[in-house]
Amino acid sequence: MKTTLGYNHSTSNSSVSEGQRVVSSIGTTIALVSFAMLFVTLMMGFAIFRFTAPVWPPQGASKPALLIPSLSTLIIFLSSVAFNYFEKQPKERRKYFNVTILMAVFFLISQFLFWFNLHANGIFTSSGVFASILYSFTWIHAAHIVLAFFLLLWLAHKLEKSGIAPNQHLIKNIGLFWHFLGIVWLIMFVTIFVL
Amino acid sequence: MAFFEQDIHDEPKTFLSKYIFSFDHKVIGKQFLWYGIFFLGVGGMMALLIRWTLAFPGQAFPVLGPILFPDTNGVVPPDTYAMLFTMHGTIMIFYAITPILIGAFGNYCIPLMIGARDMVFPTLNMLSFWIAVVSGIMLLASLVTPLGAAAGGWTSYPTLSTLLGSPGVGQTLWTLALFVLGVSSTMGAVNYIATIITLRAPGMGYFDMPLTIWGLWLTAILNAIFLPVLGAGLLLLTFDRMFGTTFFLAGAAATSGSGDPILFQHVFWIFGHPEVYILILPAWGIVSDLLSFFARKPAFGAKSTALSMTAITVLSTVVYGHHMYSSQMSPLLTQSFMMLTMTISIPSAVFFANWLGTIWKGALKFDTPMIFSLGVVFVFGLGGLTGLYLATVTTNIYLHGTYFVVGHFHYTMAASVLLGGFAATYFWFPKMFGRMMNEFWGKVHFWLTMLGLNGVFMGMMIVGHAGMHRRIYNPFVYEFLQRLIPLNQFITISALLMGAAQIIFVVNFIHALIKGPKASQNPWNVGTLEWTIPTPAPHYNFKEIPVVKCGPHEFGNPLLKDKDFQYQTEELVKA
Amino acid sequence: MKFISLLAATLFVLSAYGQDSTESSSWLSLLKAPLDISVEGHRVDSLITLTTYLIIFFFVIVCIGLFGFSYYYSQKRHPVPLYIDGTSKKHILIVAFIGSLVFVLIDMQITSISNNDYMEVFNKWPDENKEEVVKVEVLGQQWAWNFRYAGADGIFNTEDDVVTLNDLRVPTGKKVVFQITSKDVIHAFSIPNVRLKVDAIPGRITRMWTEFTKPGDYSIACTEMCGTYHYRMQAKLKVYDPNDFANWLAESHSNTKHIVDQENPDIFWGWKWIVTTQN
Repeated sequence: MKTTLGYNHSTSNSSVSEGQRVVSSIGTTIALVSFAMLFVTLMMGFAIFRFTAPVWPPQGASKPALLIPSLSTLIIFLSSVAFNYFEKQPKERRKYFNVTILMAVFFLISQFLFWFNLHANGIFTSSGVFASILYSFTWIHAAHIVLAFFLLLWLAHKLEKSGIAPNQHLIKNIGLFWHFLGIVWLIMFVTIFVL
Repeated sequence: MAFFEQDIHDEPKTFLSKYIFSFDHKVIGKQFLWYGIFFLGVGGMMALLIRWTLAFPGQAFPVLGPILFPDTNGVVPPDTYAMLFTMHGTIMIFYAITPILIGAFGNYCIPLMIGARDMVFPTLNMLSFWIAVVSGIMLLASLVTPLGAAAGGWTSYPTLSTLLGSPGVGQTLWTLALFVLGVSSTMGAVNYIATIITLRAPGMGYFDMPLTIWGLWLTAILNAIFLPVLGAGLLLLTFDRMFGTTFFLAGAAATSGSGDPILFQHVFWIFGHPEVYILILPAWGIVSDLLSFFARKPAFGAKSTALSMTAITVLSTVVYGHHMYSSQMSPLLTQSFMMLTMTISIPSAVFFANWLGTIWKGALKFDTPMIFSLGVVFVFGLGGLTGLYLATVTTNIYLHGTYFVVGHFHYTMAASVLLGGFAATYFWFPKMFGRMMNEFWGKVHFWLTMLGLNGVFMGMMIVGHAGMHRRIYNPFVYEFLQRLIPLNQFITISALLMGAAQIIFVVNFIHALIKGPKASQNPWNVGTLEWTIPTPAPHYNFKEIPVVKCGPHEFGNPLLKDKDFQYQTEELVKA
Repeated sequence: MKFISLLAATLFVLSAYGQDSTESSSWLSLLKAPLDISVEGHRVDSLITLTTYLIIFFFVIVCIGLFGFSYYYSQKRHPVPLYIDGTSKKHILIVAFIGSLVFVLIDMQITSISNNDYMEVFNKWPDENKEEVVKVEVLGQQWAWNFRYAGADGIFNTEDDVVTLNDLRVPTGKKVVFQITSKDVIHAFSIPNVRLKVDAIPGRITRMWTEFTKPGDYSIACTEMCGTYHYRMQAKLKVYDPNDFANWLAESHSNTKHIVDQENPDIFWGWKWIVTTQN
């Protein structure tokens, strides 16, 4: 008798019960609130620095070039679009899930490019508050992207193993987390990079 | 009412799956209990070292002193002292109270009291414990680093907590360990909230839940929302220390750009104030229930107690600035925080009145859980009221940073939460372990603890008001504090008494585990769901999910014939 | 009987507040804060006293309930409990009344007094154009206090500034205004005898004002954890009669060291005084 992690899923492996789906949504919602509070705190810190500084960017600092961050925004937007498309008809649109995973990798690559670019322009973490914000916030976001990426891989594995039906709720919830991170990126992009 | 019914799975067979990597909330609860008790001992030992140094500066600490501090002939050195009070605070809050009240009793009681077979996310539950273990190891590791553990106070304000004030990896490990613990607690919080929302047995509306569950639920909500705030602050502090960012650096520390140390304080206390309510809410809930159980009378105003606790939960989010009056925020902010802090008095007074209303005209039985609960009423009354001095701006300015604050928060945290934790332990011990703890020694434990505790913390409030400030290694370099030497010694002796009293508890606990009299299924004659199943509980808890038909405080109904209470599964006997 | 003895005990304790001074002969002196040597410090003391009375009043009621009910309603004495759940109109009103009473009687009273003291006194800066104030800049560092006076020319950060180490000297009869910062970590500048303290924060300037009344020698403490020797960060406070203060100041122009730091006047040590008008 195989042991499954989390033994309180229905033993019939053809579908997940309605109750369990609602429950996993509730759990995901609470978790998203927690993750959101982390980013809200970061943004609050940013707002305080931004609006109490006499001039922004502060003396000696300048906003980074928008090319790479814009690219990152586009990539993560496309990844969410792909996932959303996949989610509507998971059986038929399986390859769009792979597109999402590919986009996730591209996003991380674009982040590395961003950090490398900053470095090349002589902007380091110690180059003042604005640089501190640029690096730290994108690092923290990227760390969550990595976490989400592993969740996507795990989802891929589960889809391979038992098909779509028993994993509907996983698709929905991991998708929510992915979209959430996309929204966080968008907010950071607009408030820190653009405005 | 439950969103779905959990399966009855096979009982785990291997040693590893039964006791180490268990998914069973009852086992995980006990794991947190051992974890918390261990750290309680470590933190308590540190407190004794601190108190010894304050009462007898320059004298070697008996027995352990020469072993721990060979370079100073057994006397605690000043830098170690700083580490001691820092780690004492950190350990007691995050590694003792949180695991015991929230990790142990939360895990153990929630599924049982709401009629569920386990938490809704058992894997998350198991991970939460083991991540806490990782955090504990990280924290203990920081003690043996070359420059020592964190020594900037549990509040670790920058710039003292940046590389300027705290070189060395100890502070960094502290910051990371706390972050990891935050992850563990947040996972637990998600679990508790979701479980209570989705797995309550049919018939159990929110106001049919025992108040213990209310306390744990509200705590979990605060944890889920505010731990990430601390997490963000800790991450930024870590980046300042490890990667040269400048979020909190200013003055001499800001060699490359300037940040704002006060930002850390805001972030810390936005978490920090809800945190103190996180620590006390479970105890409030437990006491609310136990007073009813042992007065054999319904909880007076149970719904309004639940609502008051909720109101306090909400209000606790907007009062954090009273920790920061001395940092000179704008007058508008300062006044607002004072005003908002004052409003917390109202719901507090309400549920306090309800507590007294519960025992009024009851038929009180003074078993050990009850006297500990009554003790909580006493110490929390005192501790809570002394908060008023600190809520008020002008008196706060004088009392801030003195031992008055230390006395106040120990009354509310150490005294109330600890006594509440003991009440819970004596009460649920039979359910957890199938045996009874000794009543006589339980009562001795109570009286000695109360005696010691009041001596210590009332003494602290007195020396604080007399001017003694906190976190100081030797107060008597100040002439105006020298008159306080005898009182400091009194406090230390009381602390030693209080510490010694805990030995009685430990011996009672271990003895009962091994040789205690076997407990009946419902030794306290209480009607909540955990007492409807055999003792010790089977791994699946409920063979049939119970159907709840009445509230958790159905005592003293004159229409009852053979017993004076009703199980929650019984139809309410009405005229 | 219980009530009478409780009342007697309370009165006995409160009688301590009628006594004067901090003589260590009386155990009751332990209940007193250090000698108040300021014009406005009594506001803090009387508010603490008022709060104490109010708290004792309510706590005594709680104890009467707690001990009284435990005694009279033990199972032996009162075997049949009253089967009520506190939801009757009467009970709800009583609880609501208690909640409101606590709020109005204690909280609102203390809040309004404190607010008034805070806004009208402690947070109301003397108008430097209208009255003569003594200005002192304070620099906290690990682990000492530096004090700077403007010197004969009345301008800070010039060569005739008087700088002292751990040695604050002030006169009676004039308001003394402090501007405070820290060089390194957060400290807190605390003068217990005037019931005031404020954090010393690197990168920003905080301020405090008071007026001293009794000449003598007192202590200044650092009350924010600032490192290993935080416990020794004591400065001496000497309050002079106005004449003696003038003499000292004149004398110290020639004796004490002068520090001029033109480099980082706004952040570091040696800032030009920031004239504060009402905020």
